[in-house]
Parts: sequence; C-alpha cells; structure tokens
Amino acid sequence: MHPFVELSAYIDDALDSSAKAAVGTHLGSCAVCRTRLAELRDTARLIAALPAPVPSRSLVPRVSAPFWLAPMRTLATLASGAALFLFVASAVMSALPFGTGGGAAAPAFAPVSNASRERPAGPAGAAGPTGAADQRTSLTASASPAAGFAVNASPTPAPEAQRSLQTDATKAVTGTAAPAAQRGENVTTSPVVVAYSAPERPQLGPSPWIWLVLAVGFGALAFVLQRRLRAR
Amino acid sequence: MKGVSAEASALLVERARRGDARAFEQLARDVERPLYRHAVRMVGQADAEDVVQDALLAAWRSLTSFEGSSFRAWIFRIATNRALDRLRSRRRHPELPLDPPAEDDDDRSWAEPAAPGPDLTDIAADREALVIVEEALATLPAEQRAALLLRDVEGFAYEEIASITTVEIGTVKSRIHRGRLAVRNALVARGWKGPAG
Repeated sequence: MHPFVELSAYIDDALDSSAKAAVGTHLGSCAVCRTRLAELRDTARLIAALPAPVPSRSLVPRVSAPFWLAPMRTLATLASGAALFLFVASAVMSALPFGTGGGAAAPAFAPVSNASRERPAGPAGAAGPTGAADQRTSLTASASPAAGFAVNASPTPAPEAQRSLQTDATKAVTGTAAPAAQRGENVTTSPVVVAYSAPERPQLGPSPWIWLVLAVGFGALAFVLQRRLRAR
Repeated sequence: MKGVSAEASALLVERARRGDARAFEQLARDVERPLYRHAVRMVGQADAEDVVQDALLAAWRSLTSFEGSSFRAWIFRIATNRALDRLRSRRRHPELPLDPPAEDDDDRSWAEPAAPGPDLTDIAADREALVIVEEALATLPAEQRAALLLRDVEGFAYEEIASITTVEIGTVKSRIHRGRLAVRNALVARGWKGPAG
C-alpha cells in the first residue's frame, strides 16, 4: 500500500517520528512513491512561487487619525454635492425663459421681484429701459414709473395714473413711462412685446457662482480629509 | 514577520494592545500585503481589499482579546474567516464550491493521482505552470485552498493552520494533501512532467 496520504505531511515535516520513519523506509523501496513525492514537492514549490498581487491602495485603517476625520470627510462630500446641485438648480432657474408664454406665466413671478425692486427706486425713480423689464408683469401699476413696478405699491404722486395699467407697461419701454402715466394715456401696445424687448432677468437669491465656489471648497476639503485618512 | 524581528513585533503588539494606534498601524502595514495576496486567492481581486480592510479593522477593535503568541497567525485567522464568510454569502450565486460535491473521508480514493500519459507535451517554462497552478487553486474547495495557501505561500506550520482555520490537525493534513494533489493533477493533465520534466 502506497502511503500517498502521508507524502505531503512528509514533505512538510509534519509527521511524528515513527510515521516519518515508516514513510522513509517505504520511499527507499518504492519508485512510484518517490516520483509522487518529487511531484508534490515541486507542486508546493510552484504554489510558493506564484506572483504576489499588490493592493491598489493602502489597506491599513487609519486608526490613529482623529475620530472626527471620517465623519467630517463625509459631511464635506455631502455639502459639496449639495452646493453643486444648488449651483446647477439656480443656474437653470435663472436661465429659464420665464414669461415667454405671454400673460400666463409671467404674472406669477412678478409680485416678488417687483416688490423687491421698487423700494430703492422710490417714487421719483426714472423708468428707463431696465425698469421696463418688469412692466410686463405688473398687474397693479401705480403712479410713478418706479412705483408702477410693484404689485401693492402705494405711491404718492400721480394717483391718476393708477387708472391705466397698460399705459405704464408700454410706455416704460420707450423710457417715457412717467409722462405717460401722468397723462393717463391709453397705449395699445401688448405687454408681451415689452417682455421680449427687455431680456434682463430678476435675480432670485444669491448668485449661482456662490454655490459653485462652495461646491469646489467643500470638495477640496473632502479631498484633503480623504488624503489624510488614507495617508500612511 | 517580514521586516520586523520577533521581539520588535511582540513590543508593537503589546503597545497596540494598550491602545497605541500607531503601533497597530505598523503591525498592519507588515501584514498588509501577505493578507492581500491570501485574500485575492481566496475571494478574488474584486473583494480582496474589502476583506483585508475589514479584517484589519476587526483586529484593531478586538486587539485586547488577543492572547496568542503570534499576531500574524491571529490576523490571518480573522482574514481567513472573513474570506470564508464572504464566499458563503455568495452561495446564492456560487462561483466556487466551498466543499467538494461529495466529501469523502477516505482520502485514498479521492486522492488517487492521475497518471501521466505517454503523449504528454512538455511545459517548457514555470511561467506556464504557474498559470495552471493559479487556475487549479481557483477550483479547489475554499477550505482546502485556504489550508494549502497558508502552508505553501505563507509558510505556516500545520499546528498554526489548525489554529487559524479552527479544525483538527488531521483535517489540516488532509486538506493540504488533497489540495496539493489536485494542483499536481491539473499540472499533469496539462502535460507537466514533474520535476524531472
């Protein structure tokens, strides 16, 4: 009987002395087992000679790093993503062609933007081409050109001008809104046309570029923290 | 341990057990690559890095419970268990069998080697043989593969392998022989003539 089962342990010197002696005695008289032993030994040599793969990065956990480093890295990554989203969202919002559909969409945005713009101008403000941009959406125009932008404005001068909504809107385009309002003339030009002629958009919230700057800043912070966590 | 003497390693282990994170990182760096090459052949390259990282982190968290004499054997035990767990979790879509289809306690019948035929072509270079060995290892049952790699690649003694894989030493002996013989059979089947060839 060939002691095949013992041959690997014999190679590895893992047999007790009596078993080792018995196998050694058998090997002395058995060419088959000697051949098999040599094959198994060489097989073990080949297995040991297999190329050693190397990890693509350090796998050592940075247990000496401050405990807050990992959550801070996660927060910075999330903040960067959120700021990037806000940048894209605000850029898209400001680029959308509001009001191109005529009177349906435009009025919905007019009250907020107009109200915010009317105060600095005051009753004495002049209605130039810039102010005309808002005229298309003003539903309750008031006396002076600037006050005429507001929905609920309560201007003092020229109360008679409140009678004419279309007048404010159309005259503002030509830069003659104040006289027109004061005269209370009826102008037949469509407000939609005014909207197209004045492309400047009201600014909603901070500039989109602020979000981009924040996204880059948080991204850089996350990158630095990640490097710190991975550093050897 | 490569690059670190036994005394230095013992000192690092003691410092790490007392909570010295930098000492543990030094220990982990010394075993990182051996653990990785072991994990690659156990679970494949895709999961090997995760297995090693999980094992090292688990080792750090349970270092106070380490009471053995060999940190290297202890960390290999954790990594091998992680690798086997990972393979078991793949059982729904198995790529490699964990055990032979019909486990036979009679080693002799299973291990009867294939005899070289008369028309074998010589495998000229070890490089080709290594490819065959790699392929044959991948087809071994996971426990056999683990025992064989721990012996032939990592150089652990049978007693250490029994401790790492938590089986009797007789089982270790059987697994190593079966695995080695299966690799030898694969080589012979592809024309290997053995050491004389």
